[in-house]
Amino acid sequence: MIQTIRIGHLLREAVAAPYRNLVTRPTGAAVRTRIEETLARSNCLTAMLDFSEIELVDLSCADEVVAKLLLAGGHAYFFVLQGLREDHHEAIDHVLTHHRLAVAAVPPGSREPLLLGWVPSDARAAFACICERGPLGAPDLAGTLGWLESRSREALRELSRHRLVRLVGELYHPVPTA
Amino acid sequence: MSRVIEVPSHFDDRSFDAFAEGFGEWPPEEKLLIDARGTQWASPYGLIGLLTAGQALAEAKRDKPLFTVPTSEDVKRYWARAGFFQQAAEFFELHGKVPRAAATGPSDVLLDVTPVRASEDVHGVVDKISEGASRILHGELGLEMKATLRFSMALSEACQNIVEHAGTSGWVAVQAYTFRRRLGRRVVVIAVSDAGVGFRRSLESTHAKRFGERWGDGAALEAALIQGVSRFRDPGRGQGLAFIKRFLDQWEGKISIRSGTARLAIVPPWDEDVPLTDRLSYFPGAQVQIIIPAQQPVR
Repeated sequence: MIQTIRIGHLLREAVAAPYRNLVTRPTGAAVRTRIEETLARSNCLTAMLDFSEIELVDLSCADEVVAKLLLAGGHAYFFVLQGLREDHHEAIDHVLTHHRLAVAAVPPGSREPLLLGWVPSDARAAFACICERGPLGAPDLAGTLGWLESRSREALRELSRHRLVRLVGELYHPVPTA
Repeated sequence: MSRVIEVPSHFDDRSFDAFAEGFGEWPPEEKLLIDARGTQWASPYGLIGLLTAGQALAEAKRDKPLFTVPTSEDVKRYWARAGFFQQAAEFFELHGKVPRAAATGPSDVLLDVTPVRASEDVHGVVDKISEGASRILHGELGLEMKATLRFSMALSEACQNIVEHAGTSGWVAVQAYTFRRRLGRRVVVIAVSDAGVGFRRSLESTHAKRFGERWGDGAALEAALIQGVSRFRDPGRGQGLAFIKRFLDQWEGKISIRSGTARLAIVPPWDEDVPLTDRLSYFPGAQVQIIIPAQQPVR
């Protein structure tokens, strides 16, 4: 089950003003708190954070909202971002790379997610492969990419550690986006 | 006893040190007269530097300084249009006729001299700048549309440094003008200044030990701007200046920060500034200037 969380709505609630710019650390922290409260009431598996009503995301807010949600750990959720514009990508990618974190983001008009932030290059290749082909096990991935199975297993473990794929039995599934 | 501090005729980041020198020991004991009668031009950096001096003196519980306004009507009008006198009245006893700021159409003043006291002010600044920034950066300077949003991000991060680190309030102003002599191009200039604790004191408790005897205003600026450190233990901090540097590198922009007795700059190829200057006359807080040039020379 996917819970869509409209960041623009939470921003307006947090600052009690019709702002469309997600800027400053206190604002980011207030929005993150509201996301966590929403998730605490939800039994969803995937939290889709929708940025489509947001004009600007600065680095402080990218850090407070996205990086700190991922850093909090212990979440049962898979986070996916949607409605991001190019400059949003840039801010979020910058802070996640700084923390060596990563998140899946669905570009407008697409269902295929891309990765923002940092994962090793093998994990990035494995992510793209799983998004394109659907659920794969380590031997399937090794066969597809011409890797040794140990290499493929390591890449999948890395993706799983970042909660970028979902392990069901022996297969690694793409995070649900629709 | 009173001390007269002359505002340089052409008042910008380059002539700022002469202005700072005029104060002598900080905070000066004497009653001050800030004399701007002969000033022919002031950059946003100069204007908010004046306000910072006034604010720092007020916070040091010194007498309200006298301030003689520029003689030139054009200069006065421009300062009024930039919102300077409106803010200055709180910190100075103004002498001379001050024009009322005329409400005009599109102007080179992208953002009036604006106080930054809290996070809400940063929201206000970013909201206010967005339309004008696009007109100037894309329309006049020929930068890509996405530069407008990066510019707003840089502005937001620079203003937040006041709220997060200064321990007091500060000022921001943004203007576009032509750097005829230095560059021969139009530029947009963001100036941010505060009268707070400065980089050295802000970072001292967490970073001084690592620098040992080298620790001072210059080393603190280097730690913040070059190494991206912050006084907070939170590993997510300190990214704002790193991002601004990356953004400016792409557009051949320049950032310089003056704090205490030192000034550090990331110098683009078109400028002849020196990267680090220290042993300057002390000036309170921190003063940041960001310059983004047009992609083509002025015809």
